[in-house]
Amino acid sequence: MSPDNVQVPEWAWYYIAVYFFVAGTSAGAYFIGAMEELFSSAKEREVSRAACYVAFPLLLLVPIPLIADLGRPGRFWHLFIYNQGGYPYLNLQSPMSVGSWVLLVFGVCTLLSFLDNLVADRVISFPLFSRYYNRIPRKLYALVGSLAGFFIAGYTGVLLNVTARPFWAATSPLMGALFLVSGASTGAAAISLYLIWRQRNAGQEVARLESFDRALMISELLLIAVLLVLAGHTAQLLLTLPFLVIFWLGAVALGIAAPLWFKYRSRRQHFGGVPHLAHYLCILAGGLLLRISLLQAGQL
Amino acid sequence: MAKGMFIDTTICTGCKSCQVACKQWNGLAAEPAHFGKRSGVTYPVADNFTGDSYDNTGSLSATDWRHVRFIEQIDEQRREKRWLFSSDSCKHCSDAGCLNACPTKAIVRTDLGNVVVQQETCIGCKFCIPSCPYGVISFSEESGTVHKCTLCNDRIHNGLGTACAKACPTGSIRFGEVADLRRRADARLAQLKGKGEKAQIYGYEEADGLKVFYLFTDRPGVYGQPEHPIVPQRRLVLCSLVTILTALGIGVAALVNFRERLNGKEEHHES
Ligand code: SF4
Ligand code: SF4
Repeated sequence: MSPDNVQVPEWAWYYIAVYFFVAGTSAGAYFIGAMEELFSSAKEREVSRAACYVAFPLLLLVPIPLIADLGRPGRFWHLFIYNQGGYPYLNLQSPMSVGSWVLLVFGVCTLLSFLDNLVADRVISFPLFSRYYNRIPRKLYALVGSLAGFFIAGYTGVLLNVTARPFWAATSPLMGALFLVSGASTGAAAISLYLIWRQRNAGQEVARLESFDRALMISELLLIAVLLVLAGHTAQLLLTLPFLVIFWLGAVALGIAAPLWFKYRSRRQHFGGVPHLAHYLCILAGGLLLRISLLQAGQL
Repeated sequence: MAKGMFIDTTICTGCKSCQVACKQWNGLAAEPAHFGKRSGVTYPVADNFTGDSYDNTGSLSATDWRHVRFIEQIDEQRREKRWLFSSDSCKHCSDAGCLNACPTKAIVRTDLGNVVVQQETCIGCKFCIPSCPYGVISFSEESGTVHKCTLCNDRIHNGLGTACAKACPTGSIRFGEVADLRRRADARLAQLKGKGEKAQIYGYEEADGLKVFYLFTDRPGVYGQPEHPIVPQRRLVLCSLVTILTALGIGVAALVNFRERLNGKEEHHES
């Protein structure tokens, strides 16, 4: 299929790739927090607390680029309500339609978890709310929220795969998987950065987070390799400038390979300090550059 | 009683009547980028020479819902030549990628089987654009929405044929019931094959059947059509499954790393 056959959506990277990144990071962070909430020791809550403080504010940023990229931003509510009939509308064949609804569900869960932590940390207190506080099924929304979060991180890649643009089509069915793994990894980095910023020493928890992230980053490298094999000649653009810099040097080398090597090297060192900060920043920047390059390579 | 069009490219003369009729009936503006101001010239100057034979618009766009493609085939010695024409538009697919992709129900199918964009519902998300395997649907900066051929929705719902078919002087574009058009296409195909010509119908199988289909005398790619178009949403199940499996994998990795609670005692965090 020649690229001439299929028109380019001209999605602006500074809106759409940034949205993919922010939503994926928020979702990844929330998932990690939910996992700790569900499976870890009740005394160790630094990571799940940090996850909730990261996920919700990040998610608040999400609608801005999404709506800004629309040709008619004022009509964004049509994503939920069919304007001509006035009833809710969901198109199961369209990842964008399902994604919009799941974003709502995810938003509610991250908000609840955020409030939950504010109450636990005694930042806010409502007398009436506090009375019923312990009856809140926080495990339920941790579960629903992490499933929704997974959907959010993955559907952005699926959305690209189910188009007819040659590169995006050729990388089917792996883009969703890659975005998911990358979202979990950038989510872990965002949590770690939050802990550094708040100077929370989460000890064992961070060690667990690090070993989880190592597995993620290895999978990410493998997924990228298979994805490029699948893409074949449609990925030729990635061998030209500026993709040599943003994809190979930025996303792969500095965003995944270097931090992974660093993680192995400092496995036995204690948490905290400037070198760690830099490697988390590299992971985040790499996640953003990965999405920018995969979005743009399908559009040029 | 689905309506459609049969484009017999073998009798098209490339006169562009269909292009003009489409623009006129649908009130479509001239392609803005094709006219430019020149210093010292009071009127806009057309700089819309594509350099591609007599093609003046280049491709389908938000203001060009029909495009006549000029295909010049000249052999290396410049002795043999063939000039092909193909009048292209939306195919009104039975399984339409654009319609499947639309998150707002802005793209709908009418009772006559044609696919139309409801301008007042479209939000301009542009997801339908890469979802059409034929590169038909286009975004307009001016309206902030997408546009394409409607199969002259207003005309056909009032008992008229499409404007392009009406204007076509050679009968290369036929409007009618899809079943009738298929009979006509089969007969023409048999006639050409009887004369030993290499001919084929494009659009019987593709996307569950195109309501606007073509008779070609060369490969579809020569006419600018994808050889093996795939409705992209048919990849949805596989992509979703692989993503779900990956999610499960990450879940297991998380469980291995965060599993302490499985062995520890359940106690709630302090409120
Ligand atoms: S040709 Fe493209 S725009 Fe027309 S109905 Fe098919 S998918 Fe939609
Ligand atoms: S059917 Fe109508 S809208 Fe479509 S190309 Fe022909 S004249 Fe234009």
